[in-house]
Amino acid sequence: MLCEAGEQINPAIVLAEELMRKDLRGTMDFADIERAENTLIAARTEIERVERQLNQIIKTQPQPGRLIPPGF
Amino acid sequence: MPFDERLHQAIEYLAFKSANADAVRACASVEKIVSEQKKFQYFRQFFPEEWNKSRSSFFKRGYYHNYSERLNEFFSLVNEKMFPLLAGWDDPETEFEYFYIFSLNIDLCCEDIEYENLRVSYAAGLLFLFRDDEIWEYFESNYQIKREDFPEINESAHDNLWHLEKTGKVEAYLNLFELVDHSTGNPWLDTVNCRDNACFDWTEDNIRFLAESYREAAALLDQTAGIDELFAENPRAVLLDLISLWNDVKLP
Repeated sequence: MLCEAGEQINPAIVLAEELMRKDLRGTMDFADIERAENTLIAARTEIERVERQLNQIIKTQPQPGRLIPPGF
Repeated sequence: MPFDERLHQAIEYLAFKSANADAVRACASVEKIVSEQKKFQYFRQFFPEEWNKSRSSFFKRGYYHNYSERLNEFFSLVNEKMFPLLAGWDDPETEFEYFYIFSLNIDLCCEDIEYENLRVSYAAGLLFLFRDDEIWEYFESNYQIKREDFPEINESAHDNLWHLEKTGKVEAYLNLFELVDHSTGNPWLDTVNCRDNACFDWTEDNIRFLAESYREAAALLDQTAGIDELFAENPRAVLLDLISLWNDVKLP
């Protein structure tokens, strides 16, 4: 599951960095605000997905592997 | 941008930067920015002249510490020109992301009511909805009018009372009944502070609605104040009017 997961930085981190570097003295209009709110929804969805996956991993019973990696 | 403003911006950025590797905290940062930006837009929209003239900081914290000086200015403008947003909120730590409004009406639930401190019209209205012998005692000692001189007030209003056309004196009397009953339909008058507090967030509709309903509430309170003047001239006649309207939906 982890190997198949897409690699990306959570969009909120990217957006927060971008916004904090901008001169934001009242320059965002309502369209920008709406885009940011949509990004927030996507970011929260990703956080929930990761938390769900983590819970599933924790719940999964340990299984004996078919191969023993060298060194063990 | 002046040095002072850049300095406050840098401090804001550093506090953010030290925590932004965490997606949950980044969400909170974006949420805060979005919320601020929305309020800036409302500032520009509702107070364009003040916005253009304003020199208050976008970063330096204002009296309400959770907000910049610029947003504090916006809150003050809303409070002065639209509705009493800040009334009752003196604590500098107060948050206004969701805000409560305080009722302009008397809280019959929890307040200790001294009839002497009420407007006389309100005390008269209470005769119908808050049956307390002390109200008659108040009228007797202050206006020399006795309960025995008036028809008995029915337990509940005539069925048609609330359907009467609101004109002239009848309108003022009906508004008084609704005001005392907390059933005007106006959040500034119907809310009871100890429960069912009206909570709002920052949307254009809410701002307009609260400003408009506050104007209407103030007008309704002014109108019922007019009954005080009638009462001062002829208390007996006003009480008879009210009882007659309540019992029989007509003026004597």
